[in-house]
Amino acid sequence: MTVKSYFLPQSLDEALGLLAEHGDSLLLVGGGTVALPLINEGVSTPEKVMALPQAGLSYIQRANGTVNIGATSTLTQMVDEAPFPILQEAARQSASWTIRNMATVGGNLFVPPPSGDIATALLALDAQVKLVSQAGARLVPLADFYSGFLANVMRADEILAEIQVPAPQGKTAFIKYGRKAANTPAIVTVAAHITLDGDTVTAARLALNAVGLHPLRATVAEALLTGNRLDEATISAAATAAAENCQPFTDAIASEWYRRKMVKVFVRRILRQIAGEAG
Amino acid sequence: MPAKIVSFNLNGRETEVMIQPMTTVQNLLREQLGYTATKVGCRQGGCGSCTVLVDGEPMAACLLPVENIAGKEVTTLEGITPDHGLHPLQEAFFENFATQCGYCTPGMLIVSKALLDRNPQPTRDQIIDALSGNVCRCTGYEPIIQAVQNAAQRMNGHQGE
Amino acid sequence: MTEPKLNAVGQSIQRRDGLGHVTGKTIYVDDIKFPDTLHLKMVRSPVPHALIKGIDFSEAEKVPGFVRALTHEDVPNNIYTILKLIGVGPDEEPVLAEDRVRYQGEQIAAIVAESPEAALEAAGKVQLDLEELPAVFDVEEALKPGAPILKEWGTNYFVYEGHHCRRVRYGDVEQGFTEADYIIEGRYQTSPIEHAPTETTGCLVKPEANGRYTVYTNTQALFFSLDNSALILNLPFNKLHFVGGTVGGGFGGKVDVIVEPIAILAAMKTGHPVRYVFMRDEEMRVSSTRGAWRMYYKDGVMADGRIVARQVTSYADAGAYNRHTPYAVTKHAANVAGPYNIPNVHIDAHCVYTNRQPGSAMRGFGVTPASFALEVQMDKIAETIGMDPWAIRFVNAYRNGDIKPHRKEVEDATLIETMQAAAELVGHPLPEEYKAMHSNDREGGNHG
Repeated sequence: MTVKSYFLPQSLDEALGLLAEHGDSLLLVGGGTVALPLINEGVSTPEKVMALPQAGLSYIQRANGTVNIGATSTLTQMVDEAPFPILQEAARQSASWTIRNMATVGGNLFVPPPSGDIATALLALDAQVKLVSQAGARLVPLADFYSGFLANVMRADEILAEIQVPAPQGKTAFIKYGRKAANTPAIVTVAAHITLDGDTVTAARLALNAVGLHPLRATVAEALLTGNRLDEATISAAATAAAENCQPFTDAIASEWYRRKMVKVFVRRILRQIAGEAG
Repeated sequence: MPAKIVSFNLNGRETEVMIQPMTTVQNLLREQLGYTATKVGCRQGGCGSCTVLVDGEPMAACLLPVENIAGKEVTTLEGITPDHGLHPLQEAFFENFATQCGYCTPGMLIVSKALLDRNPQPTRDQIIDALSGNVCRCTGYEPIIQAVQNAAQRMNGHQGE
Repeated sequence: MTEPKLNAVGQSIQRRDGLGHVTGKTIYVDDIKFPDTLHLKMVRSPVPHALIKGIDFSEAEKVPGFVRALTHEDVPNNIYTILKLIGVGPDEEPVLAEDRVRYQGEQIAAIVAESPEAALEAAGKVQLDLEELPAVFDVEEALKPGAPILKEWGTNYFVYEGHHCRRVRYGDVEQGFTEADYIIEGRYQTSPIEHAPTETTGCLVKPEANGRYTVYTNTQALFFSLDNSALILNLPFNKLHFVGGTVGGGFGGKVDVIVEPIAILAAMKTGHPVRYVFMRDEEMRVSSTRGAWRMYYKDGVMADGRIVARQVTSYADAGAYNRHTPYAVTKHAANVAGPYNIPNVHIDAHCVYTNRQPGSAMRGFGVTPASFALEVQMDKIAETIGMDPWAIRFVNAYRNGDIKPHRKEVEDATLIETMQAAAELVGHPLPEEYKAMHSNDREGGNHG
């Protein structure tokens, strides 16, 4: 069955109107880099599709240190305009130049692990997503956005329009471990945002991907870091806790066993990197 | 059936086409317009053989609905090839044996052109990074990297260094 | 001495298809288009081993654009094997599955429709009634009593002139082992490898006004494919005109006769051009691989490095069907002892069927896995007896006039010279006695 209707709304209002009119028979698409492969394979057979890249959501605005990223900003925009170094790094390591020109930041919040590099970085930065409907808008912390595998807290009448990212107060780092140096799915991805007062950790955000149903925060590891010095003992304990408190999966890229081992290695590595930069 | 008309610029020529909804640029070029230099490798955006330029930016034609390129400039390998002779990139690929079965070559040339247009003197790492979305199963990539370096030299006025 | 006048030797010659490639003017199968072409999509088995109880096309037939379905009943000679024309039998692979399927992805029915989307949708709506059977995925498990049996002749191995494996017998390995100072064993396993060409396997068949069929195909084996297609379809050979030779990556992955027979049949039945091109997932999951190989080595070695006895037991995983594997196993048996002069050799090379994707040709198949195993084994010998890995090879290298285990005389041996050149290139110093060796020099060697 080929697609019968393809909408390219020119404003968010128009998009919301179409969503209200067509309800759940409408498939929402960002850059198409995840939806089109499934449609091309015949796995996904939507009758109606609405693509958002021309609805005026491709902006990057700075307001008092916070950066508001329109949901259809592309990964190339993240690389070129670099709102924050960790977002630039996450985008740079995603896919290829060709795909980055099409893939959107907002779309990355809807992809299955091991994809979701920029989502992981956003999680470490305490990003919030702005969900808009004809009834109004609400802000949801990204940490509360995911409710399961390819599942989230959005209502059927909402569009994810913007991602709001507060300026990081501490040091950030991003590591994606794949089987190749570029254009590769992750074995594990780690993003860290550590705030230090002297050499004591006052706030810790450690986001992981490819080790659960969606990008997640390693909260047990974060708790072990907070209030402590970022030394080898603390780092080691945090790395161990992160590895023990996640649910990696086996796929064609890596086994559950290997992913879990790599969580420990890369959490350790990223914390050492941050500790090294801190002096 | 709900066909629509889309106008865009194809290889420098203003073009108007009638398409079924969400026809991909890949299908438009190959099935409707006869421009077969843009290839089909995976229809997943993973191999790069279908890369075209949209307003100078490389994009995967297999994932790109025609409606999305309305009013834009699309460039394919047919648009880069002069009526007579070769573009310096094509010369460089030919002379450096950067093509064997030839199937990845259009995509490689398109991305290389986009790279040299914005970065006339790319480093080896920059070339590799730009081409990381293009799969070649034959050459082992080294001749391709050398061809791009060679093309950069040609296009910057140095001959055959 | 006058230099011969050379026009091409020593020159860098440009590819004659290079200009076509860089301008995008080279024509590949999928670049050729005819009006009113129909599209073929295959219904494939979702499980590795099952009896086919029934196929229901009723939902598929309702899809707009559906033209017809083909099953094994439509195929004149449904059972074939790719190398039948060079006498490698028996016929054992169905064009379309008959009573059972033997690997996940096996072709069951062909759907022909007016568009690729309609064909895909209709193929997805075909209902299969399958009774799953136990499956076997390991070569040694497949040879054990009680294993699920794949072949009508009641075993899971190819028969070589009445034997259960390809056998090489030379000298007396047991005697060699008793004389040896060391016994060194090794078990080696390769993985199946997918060629993953950038262009997928495919063909386009056009019925011509004069009753012939022009088949545009990217097969690497035009004549094999033409001949097999004619035999499968009971057509005189001159009814088929195969056009090809432009292959977007083959590496051995396009030497099997897979898409042409059924596409030609569809063109015959419908009177339309028919296109059958693998999608990327079919290319990766269904098309033949370089099959996996398991090899056990047992060597008897003297303290001075001479290998006096070599016993190899190997198992090629052919997957569910022959294709090129029986031939590969013969090649393998001729090479698996290595380019070395060994007086006592015993080889049992098995071609084993499992419920896996059929293996076939790829870049030196049969020999490449053997090279991996035997050279690692040589290093292992060197390490075990405390000898330099170069020395082990010079000591055992074969020379012209030596007799190989399968009783072929060595001609044009260059192992010694190649190693000498390699050592010089990498700056590895060789003792004078090795530098003085020569492939024509019988005195320097060791031959029984």
